[in-house]
Amino acid sequence: MEQINSMEQIKIVELLAKYNAGLADAAEIKTIEQLIESGKIELAQLQELSQLDSQISQFDAVSPSTRLDVQFYSALAEEKKQNEKRSFSLAIDWNSLFPRLALAASLLIAGFVGGYLLKSPSQDKSVVQLTQQVSELKEVMMLSMLEKESATERLKAVSLSSDMNQVSKKVTSALFKTLNGDENVNVRLAALDVLMNYAKDGEVRAELIKSISVQDSPLVQVALAELMVTLQEKKSVSELKKLLKSDKTPKEVKGKIEKSISVLI
Amino acid sequence: MVKVRDGNLDILGQLFERYKKPLYGFFYGLNREQELSEDLVQNTFLRILKYRHLFRGEGDFRAWMFQIARNVNNDHHRGNKIKAKEELEDWQDRLGHNENRSTEMLQADEQQMLSMAMDRLPIDKREILLLSKYQEKKYQEIGVILGCSEGAVKVKVFRALQELKVIYKQLEKSY
Repeated sequence: MEQINSMEQIKIVELLAKYNAGLADAAEIKTIEQLIESGKIELAQLQELSQLDSQISQFDAVSPSTRLDVQFYSALAEEKKQNEKRSFSLAIDWNSLFPRLALAASLLIAGFVGGYLLKSPSQDKSVVQLTQQVSELKEVMMLSMLEKESATERLKAVSLSSDMNQVSKKVTSALFKTLNGDENVNVRLAALDVLMNYAKDGEVRAELIKSISVQDSPLVQVALAELMVTLQEKKSVSELKKLLKSDKTPKEVKGKIEKSISVLI
Repeated sequence: MVKVRDGNLDILGQLFERYKKPLYGFFYGLNREQELSEDLVQNTFLRILKYRHLFRGEGDFRAWMFQIARNVNNDHHRGNKIKAKEELEDWQDRLGHNENRSTEMLQADEQQMLSMAMDRLPIDKREILLLSKYQEKKYQEIGVILGCSEGAVKVKVFRALQELKVIYKQLEKSY
């Protein structure tokens, strides 16, 4: 028996040598497959293949963008909220399951409700924390997307900030940087659209006024003039007048600005 | 994962952090599309969340996760039969693109060449090699994912590597 085993061993060694030298024919490859399946040959013994395999393992690891984090943590926060609702309704179901023990059950429910009320602040806290994490992630993602070369990406970034309930100063100043300096008019207009929502804030308003004379695109100039009329912002008149004086401002835009000024005054 | 199953959802965040990268690598290796691969990672975790009560807690979480990931990928491609044709065209474009890129860089390094060879493998063979990579060659676990024996997995890996070697050599000759 041992002799047969050692014979087989010798054959395997020969077969491996032939394979590793690139000389194995189709039938021999079939035999190798069988030997691999039965565990008599390990893949590591096949030199060229194991080299390829380890090369694959060393491939540069690709990484997902922060967009994935935002999506995932938003979904998780949503699930947690629903989970809390579910656990509350389960507690109520207990009552219908034990009608005969009404008193005991009501005491139990009282206990549950008491416990729930005591516990909910911490659970609420964790949901609040998670929501905060999500908005922080959104902020980070938005700020990094604004730096991208592609105008579409920057547009996406701007529209992402319109979903945020509250924005930090970092975000508004990034939006102003975009409004005043982005090479693409559409991106600048989108930034203005978002900033309009925060015009109640005094600082934002002041920055918007400052931005008027910086703009060279007629579309943005007109949009800003219209915004000032909507906001009834009289302080903007001097900035608007600067545009009127400028030779670079097109005639049509000047007409529009004159109208805006007359409404404001 | 047992904790997640029993209601501690915060732990899922930890699992996400640990596995998002390998999972993304797996999907990216199969589809070569950034946004799609991210969406598929997201879908995988949504399914884990939805079916967490089905995790028995006996086996390995990673193997269970990749089982779900395979289904998510298959469902995506099954649900996009019409799109599949376009994808095939995209695929051909992409191959063409890769070739052009490679012509430009005559001294393409081995890894790039290997990546191109991987792209040319049939999807099932690419999948087994990616599983082998991200399951760190734990063939028994891969057997659980694919529903076959450890030996059968090794044979599949062998065949995939064989074919990869042939494609790789062809590419080497042509550049």
